[in-house]
Amino acid sequence: MTQAAVGTQAHISVDEVSKHFGDGGDAVHAFGPTSFEIEAGAFVSLLGPSGCGKSTLLLMIAGLLPVTEGTIHVGGERVRHVRTDVGIMFQDSTLVPWRSVRGNVELQLELRGLSPIIFRERIDELLASVGLADFAHRRPYELSGGMQQRAAFCQAFVHSPPTLLLDEPLGKLDAMTRERIRADLQEQWRRTRPTVLLVTHSIEEAVQLSGKVCLITPRPGRLHGIIDIDLPWPRDAEVKKSPEFVRYVNEIGDIFRGYGVI
Amino acid sequence: MQMGRPVIARFGRLATFPIFLALLILFWERSIDWFSIPRYILQRPSDIVINSAADIPRLAEYTMVTASETLLGFVAALAAGVPLGLAIVTSQLLRRTLYPLCVSLEMVPKIAFAPIFIAWLGFGLLPKIIVVFLVCFFPVVLNAIAGFSSLSEELTRFSATTGASAWRNFWRLRLPAALPQCFVGFKFAAVNATVGATIAEFIGSDRGLGFYIQIQTGNMRPDLAFAAIFVLTLLGLALFGAVTLAERAIIPWDIAQRRIRGRS
Repeated sequence: MTQAAVGTQAHISVDEVSKHFGDGGDAVHAFGPTSFEIEAGAFVSLLGPSGCGKSTLLLMIAGLLPVTEGTIHVGGERVRHVRTDVGIMFQDSTLVPWRSVRGNVELQLELRGLSPIIFRERIDELLASVGLADFAHRRPYELSGGMQQRAAFCQAFVHSPPTLLLDEPLGKLDAMTRERIRADLQEQWRRTRPTVLLVTHSIEEAVQLSGKVCLITPRPGRLHGIIDIDLPWPRDAEVKKSPEFVRYVNEIGDIFRGYGVI
Repeated sequence: MQMGRPVIARFGRLATFPIFLALLILFWERSIDWFSIPRYILQRPSDIVINSAADIPRLAEYTMVTASETLLGFVAALAAGVPLGLAIVTSQLLRRTLYPLCVSLEMVPKIAFAPIFIAWLGFGLLPKIIVVFLVCFFPVVLNAIAGFSSLSEELTRFSATTGASAWRNFWRLRLPAALPQCFVGFKFAAVNATVGATIAEFIGSDRGLGFYIQIQTGNMRPDLAFAAIFVLTLLGLALFGAVTLAERAIIPWDIAQRRIRGRS
């Protein structure tokens, strides 16, 4: 277990950040204070039980929620407003039913004032890489939940953001679909190495996908520690069967058992 | 004949209601004789058709009158209600003032205003249009408010991370997301519209199908009153049908989505 090394090129740095909802006596202490750093190109999971404030932290990093105390920097710049240099995915997809899969990917570009025509090949390539080439003209409601989230991934990633913020994107999918999309997600990350921040409550998912796992304690969430996952890439079925993988999963499980959340 | 079976089954499903309706009308036709109902109380459907045919010019003229009142009031309610709904969602001041006012006025039976408008504005077209407007306006505005506030938290946040201007956000997300709920309001309004026009005419008028029903009932001519009721029904159906067709043309994706969700 290590603290994030200070001095390396930190892409995201969270400094003494805490969040309260409401004020005065009714204020709810939702998160923090917590500090950590994430270097550029890392795949990092925020792992914790539900209600620990890990999604709140993600929203604060995106600038979608203001911090109560502390500061957050992304790419060397202090977060004060919503950041537009990110791609974001939620548990419920951000696909709209009045557009096709392709149209939904183009929505990201259109909202940014970019021309979808220039991105034509990029969109084709991205859809093909997640196996949606033949479904580009289908509407979201004609697709399975897993295909919808793959389309949502293309939507979140089409503009090649340096940072991907994923808020339990696989939370509503069945186990088999989740497995498939994890592999897709890993491949996409390995190809272009954006900084990825994944909020999850699945220990296995965090260990499989991440270089670092931030363990967030039960409410009010604080950083318990950061675990470096030293396993070979790609983290396929073989790696998941390895004793090292199982050891990481058990180590993290023991920590949460200590908090009484498992 | 294996190919024929689904066709027959489909025909059977579609034909059930028309056959039922035909039997009901036949029962009405025969029951006038069976129960010796006097003709000033109720007449046979066949007599209604024959007798009203003689009065077609007047019925046609009055249909135009009532149809104009209905359509003008309905369109005015849409034209005012949707922008007002959007304004209430957008402005905090309006949300604290006009929104509670709209909700309170929704509780008032709008028809109760009809005599007052007729006293103020006379027997002409305008007070009827205002009454139709009133009965249509509140469902339109309240559903527009619900529609324009219906964009999910996820989509709102997603849109924020794109840095989209309010204008772009409106045309590409907020407006299309609002349309299904807006159409719910339009359909309510379409059903209410002919009711408003008819009752406004009952209260004070010298023309229109509502006026005609009152006069013919007074004349002990239920056959002609029924003819006018039939025409009013067609009028309401036509308006509702037009809204449904517009819905299909404008938001086919919502209908397809509802169908798929309904199946699963």
